[in-house]
Amino acid sequence: MRSFIIRRLISAVLVLFAISVMVFLIFFATPGVDPAARIAGRSATPQILEQVRAAFGLNRPIPIRYLLMMEHLFIKHDLTSYVNVGDRVLPQILQAAPVTLSLVIGAAVIWLIVGVLGGVVAAANRGKFIDPLIMFVGIAAVSVPAYWLGEVVNYFTQSKFHSSIFSWVPSSGYVSPTTNPWQWALHLLFPWLTLAALYAGIYARVLRAELVNAMNEDYVRTARAKGLSERRILLRHALRCSLISIVSLFGLDFGALIGGAALLTEVVMGLPGIGMLTYNALQNLDLPVLMGCVMYGAFFIVLANAVVDVLYAWLDPRVRLA
Amino acid sequence: MGALVVVAFMVTACLLAPVYAHQIAHEDPFSSNLLGRIRLNGRMVSVLQANTQGAGYGVTPIGPTWHFTNYFLGADNQGRDVFARFLYGGRASLLIGSVSAVICCAVATVMGLAGGYFGGAIDWVVSRLFDIVWAFPIYLLAISLSVILLTSGVNIGPLHIGPGSMMVPILIIGAIFVPYVGRPLRGIVLSLKEREFIQAAIGSGASDWHILSREVFPNVAPSIIVFFPLMVAFDMLTESSLSFLGIGVQPPNASWGTIIQDGLGLLYTRPWVAIAPGLGIVITAGALNVFGDGLRDAFDPKAKLRGSI
Amino acid sequence: MSRPMFTRRIGVLLASFAMSLFGVIAAAPGATAGASSTYQSQHAGGTLKLLASTAGGTLDPQVNYTLQYWQLYQATYDGLVSFQKVTGAGSFVVVPDLAVALPKVTNGGKTYTFKLRKGIKFSNGKPVTVNDVLSSFQRIFKVSNPNAGSWYNVIVGGPACLATPATCTLKGGVAVNASTNTVTVNLLTPDAEFLDQLAVPFGSILPATAPAKDAGSTPIPGTGAYMFKSYNPNTGLVMVRNPYFKVWSAPAQPKGYPNEIDMNFGTTVESEVTAVENGQGDWVFDALPSDRLQQLSTKYAAQLHVNSLTADWYLPMNTNIAPFNNLKARQAVNYAIDKNAAVSLFGGKLLASPTCTILPPGFPGYVESCAYNKGTGSKYNGPDLAKAKALVKASGTKGMAVGIVVTNDPVNSAVGQYVQSVLNSIGYKATLKPLSNNIQFTYIQNTKNKVQISLSQWYQDYPAASDFLKVLLSCSAFHPGSDNSINIAGYCNKAIDAKMNKAEALELTNPTAANALWGQIDQQLMSAGAPWVPLFNPKQIDFVSKRVGNYQFSRQFYMYVDQLWVK
Repeated sequence: MRSFIIRRLISAVLVLFAISVMVFLIFFATPGVDPAARIAGRSATPQILEQVRAAFGLNRPIPIRYLLMMEHLFIKHDLTSYVNVGDRVLPQILQAAPVTLSLVIGAAVIWLIVGVLGGVVAAANRGKFIDPLIMFVGIAAVSVPAYWLGEVVNYFTQSKFHSSIFSWVPSSGYVSPTTNPWQWALHLLFPWLTLAALYAGIYARVLRAELVNAMNEDYVRTARAKGLSERRILLRHALRCSLISIVSLFGLDFGALIGGAALLTEVVMGLPGIGMLTYNALQNLDLPVLMGCVMYGAFFIVLANAVVDVLYAWLDPRVRLA
Repeated sequence: MGALVVVAFMVTACLLAPVYAHQIAHEDPFSSNLLGRIRLNGRMVSVLQANTQGAGYGVTPIGPTWHFTNYFLGADNQGRDVFARFLYGGRASLLIGSVSAVICCAVATVMGLAGGYFGGAIDWVVSRLFDIVWAFPIYLLAISLSVILLTSGVNIGPLHIGPGSMMVPILIIGAIFVPYVGRPLRGIVLSLKEREFIQAAIGSGASDWHILSREVFPNVAPSIIVFFPLMVAFDMLTESSLSFLGIGVQPPNASWGTIIQDGLGLLYTRPWVAIAPGLGIVITAGALNVFGDGLRDAFDPKAKLRGSI
Repeated sequence: MSRPMFTRRIGVLLASFAMSLFGVIAAAPGATAGASSTYQSQHAGGTLKLLASTAGGTLDPQVNYTLQYWQLYQATYDGLVSFQKVTGAGSFVVVPDLAVALPKVTNGGKTYTFKLRKGIKFSNGKPVTVNDVLSSFQRIFKVSNPNAGSWYNVIVGGPACLATPATCTLKGGVAVNASTNTVTVNLLTPDAEFLDQLAVPFGSILPATAPAKDAGSTPIPGTGAYMFKSYNPNTGLVMVRNPYFKVWSAPAQPKGYPNEIDMNFGTTVESEVTAVENGQGDWVFDALPSDRLQQLSTKYAAQLHVNSLTADWYLPMNTNIAPFNNLKARQAVNYAIDKNAAVSLFGGKLLASPTCTILPPGFPGYVESCAYNKGTGSKYNGPDLAKAKALVKASGTKGMAVGIVVTNDPVNSAVGQYVQSVLNSIGYKATLKPLSNNIQFTYIQNTKNKVQISLSQWYQDYPAASDFLKVLLSCSAFHPGSDNSINIAGYCNKAIDAKMNKAEALELTNPTAANALWGQIDQQLMSAGAPWVPLFNPKQIDFVSKRVGNYQFSRQFYMYVDQLWVK
């Protein structure tokens, strides 16, 4: 088991390394991104351009630049932005992370409750009217482009019905829970709902399928033979087993979202989280910030993958050999 | 099979886009019509109307007329018929969705089979490639590629991708979902390999190619078939997200994603421009998902899909 | 509409009046009652909340080149001279600021002698001395100021400082005398625009203790009525009253009204507008989204302020590669584009005016003319598609592929789509290449990228004709293979270049004749060269909250933020 974990961690680090190199190379392979020209200003002479290049170390060979950037990011912790000169990358990420955490945790609570409830209710009422209804809503939620849903929600809450039923909705943005917990929740309510819709749909569908499978398993038949009620079997026995797949799914989704996969939701809803930071860095082509965000996000995704793999290996020893 | 009917209806409607544009609406949905005028309820009106109320700043395109023959859903900011563009956009979205799903499933099958069957170093490389693609920030990849591809085009071996080609979004979308399909396939192959009939084939000295094509692939194929409609739906959703970042079908052509993008700039005055293509995606992707579920029930009742996006 | 169209960093630049040396020294004309009018203390106090979607980069006034912060620097930093803080034409006039009076100019226009005011303190409590002035001049070079090589290298010792900024002394260029409190600046050649260049924020006087490199997000103490208290590029900046500030000359640095001025970053433009509508914010820095204009002009008309800008939206055509290396092809595009269509995409006739010339209206040297027009008038009438098609045919470029490079924001790409449609209709095969804001501006400049036609904007540095004609269309502004080659059309005409040099020299002795010559050059460039399609001159539209009063607009710096009332 230990050697499996070690192997898994080594590959995780290798993956992170490969991603950082690719980000760096892709950035400098893109025409027109040379930050020197933008830093130098619109009427700069070639001489000034050269000075700016030298000041930012942009005249050095690419591998050296890569190593320097990694040193500043991981060892000295003082990597600074190309665009907002002197602005350190790490504090920006630390500042953005709570926003993303607030968004993702709140949405996760909603989608777990709604998803699990929906899945259980649908499975318990198989063949009745409510089962296909829940599954239909679930499919619709899975089929909506997230940012489009966000924009439409914005349109209804901020414009179309803002003067009537949605007059209590604040303008988009983020309020820290330490400043005002009520405003924090109020500002995040619609972003939570928007983000949760997709995942609630997925989880309800997956859980229902798992439960339906489980109800045909041997241990359920045994329970039935013992004369337990269907409801009790579903909740006590089948649900417990089916939740395992939900938990592993949740690990992957949560890792990805913390890492910035909620980018479009954050941008559309105007939340200054990791996704927004990444998006702005992309718009400004601010490589240091981008690199910081990418490494941060990739870390969580790779970590979640590794944790889920290790968890599976623990549950199913055959995987370790693979 | 109601889902299949819905998909077929959307596909047919979109394929008929040229008929609608040229025979019914008589509008060219690809050229700007900024100063054009149309006859509406017996009056001539401008397609783009300067605001007259209050301070009078701004110009607003004509809204939905709900006359099927004329600017049914109104005009966009270039004065073009939104409904005609909606139909043309559906063609592009469906094409991107299905071609990228084909590419994605093909690549994932090859990688998943190779990794699962051969194991060892090949499996390690395949698995790490999946990890990298999975954790890679696709937005960065997409933006960088778009600059290169949009401005000069690129040559990949004998394949030339011209600037603004529809292959740009197709390849990007196809690539990013390879791990999504490839990982479960690899898992299936791993467990197949333990089964007696494969072990027997290996023991009998059959070539790897023979085993892969005659024994392994036929057993994986149902899963691929189940994945396919789901991937088309996913890819259509992704296409719309990438359009948000400006990587997609290039103007004046349209896809549902780019029409949403155009419509976001008009959300407060002409919300239908953004809402209609979004509904198009929801309906089509939803029907494809239902269809995929039906396939799964028919083929592979125990398949587990990794459900994250 | 205008500002964020630009790359933030390359920013939008400000104006100075194209006055000759002697013109500047003459009394300031036409100052309408503005910031310099009587201070109304009943309106003082409160916190002004400005909203911007993102930060504007470094806060260092000698490095930052964005309108976003130049607008704020007016209240926080002073140069030896500055632009008068009034509304109307007077806002183009240079007045003494930290200097007692405008400098004495001797030695045939090559020596400037300033006398520094006494008793002024920086916001850290230290008095302003001549040594601070000297170090601020040196610092322009040490921090690699964007225009060190194009503006300030005229100072004696400047070229040496450009070559080795770290050891910059400006020996022989800037001499100070602490006992008489004077600063003497020597130039290599007479320069009609030198005072204007000192009056922009690059010329700010900072403490000698300011770091010799870009200070980035750390505020540097200044002498203005306000000081930066904090700056976080991700959340916002805060300006508070400078405790050491006393009014020494209201036209140069007036007392402001709010006690605190905040600029918050990080929300979308849409929500900024909503916030100002609801009174949660006071002003939107970013361009107003076009689909909000209808609602705003209906419900909030009294809170909108529209002012003309001396700026161009234009289509530069690459005069060195096909098809636009052919004059007839360039003329054809000029005939074909309907400028009114472009105006309508920008927000309608009230927010922009079509133009046929390179110089904007109201500029020194501007003469209304229209070389490519329907009919023969000097006022723009509309496109002439028949002529355009005939010219394309005659040029032999029909059927060629043309790529149009635009930025991917809504307004620019809408104009791009329109241009694409027009080029297709006159016989080209046009494709649109929308790029991210930050890439496009450098991408279209570099000849390696072989851009044929693009959409760009130019906002004046100075309302001096040379700032459009010479900066954008002279041979010296064309650097093949470089990302910094602001002559995007790559147009280089030796005869016109000679004329421009002549006009510039004439500015020192005979401004009227110089302006007439610039006007001729403008018309000659369009008729004989046609390197651009000028589209329109945009207007600035400001949306303020209901509680805000005393809106005043400077042609130089746009809205005076510190003069707004929130009480």
